[in-house]
Amino acid sequence: MVASAICGRGMRRIMARPTLIMPVLLMPLIFVLSFTGAFGSLTRVEGYGTDNVFNWMAVYAAMQGAVFAGVGGASTTAEDIENGFFDRLLLTPGSRVPILIGTMAYSALRSTIPTTGVLLVSALGGLRLPGGPLTLVTVYVATAGIASAFCLLGLAVVYRFRTMRSMILIQVCGFSLMFLSTGQVPIHFMNGWLHAVARVNPVTNVLRFARQGFLGDLTWSMTWPGLVALGAMVVTAGALAVHQLRRLTG
Amino acid sequence: MTCSPTRLAVALRELKSERPTVSAGAATGLRLARVQTLALTRRSVISEWRQLGNVIPGIVFPLLLAAVYTHQFTRVILLPGFPVVDSFLDFVLPASLVQSVSFGATEAGTELARDIENGFFDRLRVSPCTRLPLLLGRLGGAVVVAAAKGVLIIAIFLLFGAEIAGGPAAAVVLVAAAVLLVIAIGGLGQVLAIITGSQEAVNATFPLVFTSIFMSSAFFPTNLMSGWFREVAEANPVTWIIDPVRRLILDGWSWSDAGQALAVPLVISVVTVTMAVVALNRKLGSS
Amino acid sequence: MGETTRARFDDDVVIEASGLERTFGEVVAVDGIDLAVTRGEVFGFLGPNGAGKSTTVRMLTTLLRPTGGTARIDGHDVEKSAAAVRRIIGVALQDASIDPLMTGNELIRLQAVLHGISRSESRSRGAELLARVGLAGAAGRRVATYSGGMRRRLDLALSLVHEPSILFLDEPSAGLDPTSRLALWEEVRRLNSELGTTVFLTTQYLEEADELAGRIAIIDRGRLVREGSPEDLKSMVGSPTLRVDVDPVFLESARRVLVGFGPERPAREGRLAIGLDEGATRVAEVVRALDDAGVTVSHLELDAPSLDDVFADATGRRLEGAEK
Repeated sequence: MVASAICGRGMRRIMARPTLIMPVLLMPLIFVLSFTGAFGSLTRVEGYGTDNVFNWMAVYAAMQGAVFAGVGGASTTAEDIENGFFDRLLLTPGSRVPILIGTMAYSALRSTIPTTGVLLVSALGGLRLPGGPLTLVTVYVATAGIASAFCLLGLAVVYRFRTMRSMILIQVCGFSLMFLSTGQVPIHFMNGWLHAVARVNPVTNVLRFARQGFLGDLTWSMTWPGLVALGAMVVTAGALAVHQLRRLTG
Repeated sequence: MTCSPTRLAVALRELKSERPTVSAGAATGLRLARVQTLALTRRSVISEWRQLGNVIPGIVFPLLLAAVYTHQFTRVILLPGFPVVDSFLDFVLPASLVQSVSFGATEAGTELARDIENGFFDRLRVSPCTRLPLLLGRLGGAVVVAAAKGVLIIAIFLLFGAEIAGGPAAAVVLVAAAVLLVIAIGGLGQVLAIITGSQEAVNATFPLVFTSIFMSSAFFPTNLMSGWFREVAEANPVTWIIDPVRRLILDGWSWSDAGQALAVPLVISVVTVTMAVVALNRKLGSS
Repeated sequence: MGETTRARFDDDVVIEASGLERTFGEVVAVDGIDLAVTRGEVFGFLGPNGAGKSTTVRMLTTLLRPTGGTARIDGHDVEKSAAAVRRIIGVALQDASIDPLMTGNELIRLQAVLHGISRSESRSRGAELLARVGLAGAAGRRVATYSGGMRRRLDLALSLVHEPSILFLDEPSAGLDPTSRLALWEEVRRLNSELGTTVFLTTQYLEEADELAGRIAIIDRGRLVREGSPEDLKSMVGSPTLRVDVDPVFLESARRVLVGFGPERPAREGRLAIGLDEGATRVAEVVRALDDAGVTVSHLELDAPSLDDVFADATGRRLEGAEK
């Protein structure tokens, strides 16, 4: 199948040049270390939600890593466009959508690397799983979803502008989106405009979904909004990407 | 001797033609070096201005960070042990400034790497340009932009209600310290550029600089940290700069704080720029 | 200008374009081109840099949408039935479209999957193709280690994986050394004669068009200026060219003598050229006439018409760089 071939190609490229994956792996690790270190005292504040800062921050770091992995997946396409290989992909008979899907799958797969790294490092730092092993499932689902959404968004931008430099824009947007949410503190810590923004930010729901197992039990009421948010992000980004792909030859 | 436009033009012409013009015979040694530095600074500033889009993230992002943290940490500042502040905004001002200038700090290095990559560096080399102006000129651009950003950020913070107890003098020290930090980081970037000749390698230092700001007392007081992280933060030179500056902002003017805030980045700058000159000399083979 | 000898118009026209046009903002890259290429032909598209060759190829291969006119490949409209077109064409573009991080084998396999070829079939076909272009030994290595010529050969192999009946080659020998170029020509001839593949090739090298193409269209500034077989085109320009080098002092008097023998043709600085019917037999006369006029000739040569002359005749400019 075309999509799996594209996905497989991506993974093989990482093995061909392992330095491709280093930043994606290192950034979230540095993230989790510096944030748990700098803001460790947050747990002393009333109502934080947990007394273990890793339990709170690990998911946030993993998801930032997922954004990075997603954008990186789109960067491969940017490189292909710049060196001409993309033309060959465009000459596929039949629909070109499988190419898009394959790239997205590659990003989702790629995101498991930083996620695993963050979880391992956090485990060393004292990470606990009150919600049981299913917690890990929620984390991987959330990061795969985020990576996919940002890969698709990145692809939409790449198809439109065709350069590598546009990737930084998406990266900054992704970081900011994560940031304007409950990444570092619970929502009731916020007030004013930030509170309003965080409430409508779909990432807030995703964080709640992925983090619930670290704070307590897994419940359906905290799960379904997260899945809906993930679905909405992927579908919207996907629609944008498909639209831009169709415009590509015009 | 002031640096008139004609002198700048002379210097630029020299760089282009690789033959000293007649009047250069009169401007030798230190004067020539100064003229060259200014000409290269001018080139650097113009180049930064033309890429203004790159400067914007360096202003917007730290401000966004500061705004979000201020709103998130309203309860945090009440923790025992936290310095006495009205709002997190006062606490985070030096951090935002340092972060903002760090965005452009590696520019000097990447520009140099780019010049080396595309051969323009060789052209500069065969001009009667001594080593120091080559490096300082480029740093000059970064310095001008950093100073502008610093002033802008302080202005915005003041607009949103931050207060600087140490008065205008403290603000000046803050901007000066940030500028010196840029020279320090820029020098390091230039060393990397000379050794590796690759823009990618120099760019890779940005995430490191970015994180080292977090691994300091910039966003959280070190006395509230624990374990190995606290040790790292206390050993971080960024902490040694931010702590005294913050005291100037929160507690008021103090000569010792001002001195420390300026001395630390000054020493580091001298070290890194010297390293850059040494590296350059080694690469070019002569003085 | 604008003379054409149309191809025999029958149902076997596999590449067809009518008023094909492409503008980029203000710039008109391709200005109303009509084409008809029959099955099994080797068709050459000849023109200088920037003439619009690559743009035309991109439109014909569905990579670019025309802003005017229509094109059909084997009956399928390039815009409306693009997928059908892509199934039957093979394309090797000007910049070899490959991924440097993959090996030759991996790229062949990927190409096969993209075209829906089974794994086992792709393996055998891939091995055969790679052997044919002389890359069997290097197939396991990463493409980044290949030379420019090797990349071109791989690109050609990739374009043939799905055994297309129509092959598009955009400047296939640009940047190749003479040996590789000859090998490429051999391969193109073989594909055409043994497999009956229709070949549409663009080039700026006269020799290539002359050697390979059964029919040529000359394109300049987005328009077709001549079309026909190489022999027909050359004989249209007619007579051989006589080129004479004289000292600038004698230029005008030499010119007056020469134009009495035939029409003047474009030539470079310090040289005069005329078309001379019955070429060799009249040379002696020309030399005598020049001598009588007191003109000193430093150099003299007589050339049969070339495609360069055809181009010069059609556009008033020379195709290959400096004037002869």
